[in-house]
Amino acid sequence: MKLKIKPHTRKSFLTYALVIAAFTATQIYISSGSASNMFQGLLVPFCVYSIAAASLNLTVGILGELSLGQAGFMCIGAYSSAIFSVVTKDTITNVWIRFPIALLIGGIFAAIFGVLIGIPVLRLRGDYLAIVTLAFGEIIKNVFAALYVGYDSKGLHFSMTSQGDLGLEPDGTMLIKGALGISGTPKDSTFVIGFVLLLLTLIILYNFIYSRTGRAVMSIRDNRIAAESVGLNITKYKLITFGLTAFLAGISGALFSHNLSILQASKFDYNLSILILVFVVLGGIGSIRGSVIAAIVLTYLPEALRKTGSSLTNYRMLIYSVILIVMMIFTSNAKIRGFFSAQFMKLKRLVIKDKTPAVKEAE
Amino acid sequence: MALLEVKKLGISFGGLRAVDEFSMTINKGDLYGLIGPNGAGKTTIFNLLTGVYKPTDGSITLDGVNLTGKSTIEINKAGIARTFQNIRLFSNLSVLENVKVGLTNHYKYSALTGVLRLPKYFRMEKEMNERALELLKPFDLQDDATTLASNLPYGKQRKLEIARALATQPKLLLLDEPAAGMNPKETAGLMETILTVREQFGVTVLLIEHDMSLVSGICEKLSVLNFGQLLCEGKTSEVLSNPEVIKAYLGE
Amino acid sequence: MAFLDNLINGISLGSIYAVIALGYTLVYGIAKMLNFAHGDVIMVGGYVIFTAMTSWNLNPYLSVLVAMIACTVLGITIEKIAYKPLRQATSLAVLITAIGVSYFLQNIALIIFGEKPVTFTSVVDLPKISLFDGKIIIKSETTAAVIISVLIVVGLSLFVNKTKSGRAMQAVSEDKDAARLMGVNVNRTISLTFAIGSALAAIAGALLCSAYPVLSNTTGAMPGIKAFVAAVFGGIGSIPGSMIGGILIGVIEIMGRAYISPQLADAIVFAVLIIVLIVKPTGILGKKVSEKV
Repeated sequence: MKLKIKPHTRKSFLTYALVIAAFTATQIYISSGSASNMFQGLLVPFCVYSIAAASLNLTVGILGELSLGQAGFMCIGAYSSAIFSVVTKDTITNVWIRFPIALLIGGIFAAIFGVLIGIPVLRLRGDYLAIVTLAFGEIIKNVFAALYVGYDSKGLHFSMTSQGDLGLEPDGTMLIKGALGISGTPKDSTFVIGFVLLLLTLIILYNFIYSRTGRAVMSIRDNRIAAESVGLNITKYKLITFGLTAFLAGISGALFSHNLSILQASKFDYNLSILILVFVVLGGIGSIRGSVIAAIVLTYLPEALRKTGSSLTNYRMLIYSVILIVMMIFTSNAKIRGFFSAQFMKLKRLVIKDKTPAVKEAE
Repeated sequence: MALLEVKKLGISFGGLRAVDEFSMTINKGDLYGLIGPNGAGKTTIFNLLTGVYKPTDGSITLDGVNLTGKSTIEINKAGIARTFQNIRLFSNLSVLENVKVGLTNHYKYSALTGVLRLPKYFRMEKEMNERALELLKPFDLQDDATTLASNLPYGKQRKLEIARALATQPKLLLLDEPAAGMNPKETAGLMETILTVREQFGVTVLLIEHDMSLVSGICEKLSVLNFGQLLCEGKTSEVLSNPEVIKAYLGE
Repeated sequence: MAFLDNLINGISLGSIYAVIALGYTLVYGIAKMLNFAHGDVIMVGGYVIFTAMTSWNLNPYLSVLVAMIACTVLGITIEKIAYKPLRQATSLAVLITAIGVSYFLQNIALIIFGEKPVTFTSVVDLPKISLFDGKIIIKSETTAAVIISVLIVVGLSLFVNKTKSGRAMQAVSEDKDAARLMGVNVNRTISLTFAIGSALAAIAGALLCSAYPVLSNTTGAMPGIKAFVAAVFGGIGSIPGSMIGGILIGVIEIMGRAYISPQLADAIVFAVLIIVLIVKPTGILGKKVSEKV
């Protein structure tokens, strides 16, 4: 009997098509000249947040564990890639060589940290990943905000206290200026590159999910004890997944840092981690496509509302918190879900007058 | 020849001695039953045999290899697979995918190969699909291959669990109350299936069951457990007519 | 001398962590969930006391009482609205909801009280203790924290072991379904757990803000995380464990701040968590929680 993996291929290709179509439409819109500055300024962030959200969904939706440290991984990716670009911007002048290397460096460093944190935590049962990643995010932000790095003829200098304590020679160069961060990162990020990275991210994610490894990970999510009973090495699969999430988060951070003239650690705070989580939850836990859509919509809406002067933007974070609570109750409580799907069915039957008797829903 | 040798197995939970001095020998190709009243400790023994609990006393040997104290994962790789009293399927995966998860350790390719969609991915997936369908056939589940596991009716879910366990190529298959919730017709079908499976896959079967028609129907040998201890063992017909066994079930 | 000073401060801060950790450990043991919002209930308690003392001109003790009542009501409400509907849901769903509640509290406080931190007036009015000819002065807040936390730990242990409600809590923590079958009102027991935890959070808020008198909407977050580390360190689910874990974390943090680096003090506490998770995840006094297979 021939079995084609139809539903999976359909799902992923539809997503690729949507993203490509959106990109094309946007390019046309921009070249028509009617796109606002605000909109054009959001293009790279659309890609950054989409990649961050889609990769977080790998851990939250596919592996089924909560990570609150996405901002921390983005921060590592942002800083490591920015340092590389700043240091090599005069030696590697070809941006098509330098930027991909920078991106990779960002991703790899973030992945290393992901694996380091993952090793002690992921082998445990329970909710420790959430707290550990939460603490990790805070600490990374604090460490980078207090970090001073400079180099001169004697080499690299580090300090955690102040620029003066570096003992830098007068003609030395500052790389990281504590809370003031890194300035002078070449602005290599473009919408085209962002789009390509997003597409690559989606391909990586879908290929990962619809493979032996992805199946193993989802089985661990669905029933860890059963997964053990068929001989799956739980910790290994958790580490691979978490490492991949961190890697992609690092790439999104690198894309982000090469879009700013000044990179500061304060941007990568708890609010950012929560924001990415809201994208994932609103778009549907486990739906990669949903994460991208939610990321774009929720990045665009606050800016657009701000322009209209609506005061709703002050309540933005409050609204996000309510979204988290409400989405969880609606999707996880069988009674509430059943109530609303019954109402929806009634409504459908009112609107679509069909002669067939009411079909029983398989739930 | 002996496949499974359990010697004086014991475990305590706090002050409760859940299993005590339990011994059992199962030969290759046996269809062996573990019976006893509710709470006797049968599932606890399954949990001990599969590494969910570590025994405090005694030993477990499979095909000459000492499995005492090993983890569930190692024990499965050594050749023991099981089903669960409360069905544990991968609810968000399809029937076919559930079985394919069972094949994970036998059709290997790296995550990178999957991400890059190298030729090995397509080759292995094709082989896994074929093998998984082969595993579903004895259970008449091949037409449900794309159905979501949680949408299956109860009886089919139980059968899927067995198919998934078989996918791991076990030497010994542990079935925990496979006929629970089945009507007589389904139970008769299950009995056929278990016999077919033993023959087709060359697997030795140990099952826990309360349904006496299944026990007397297909089990060749029995061990009776009561209050965590072995009450009686031997040929099915002899055990079931033993007055001590009858007393344990009916109580006096 | 400085060492003794730091040690005393560490023990005092640790006592506050112990009181917070008790809230985590109770809820984790009985409702089997990690109440992320616990740290933020502390912040709410702090703000209620502040408002009571400044806007309503209540005396300190009455203010703390008002805060305890407010937090208890808040805790029970949160449980009923956000957690109870998810009792059958995955732990991921509960965690996300708890994060949502925590974030909600932080942002409500931000909207009501603004970004600017407020100065908290200490509610403690005990005499200072002077040691070694005035070389060490122990502030009243420091003493109060230790005394009150010991009283709470002892009181809670007695409650859990000697009273009917307390033993019901133990039963629900061991086996919810069995407890229900034995006639225990599980819903009421869980509500009681949240009530106690939240009341303790109010007290912790009073002590914390009295000792470190700057209050903002994020005041509860970091102490909440550190208290969780303390609960895990001492053994999640164990009441004496919370005390031991709390004191140890408090001392480690203050010592780290003094002798290694102020910026890295948080990282050191976090490192302790990692080490505990590697070496003995059940903590010092923790018992292994087994799953039904």
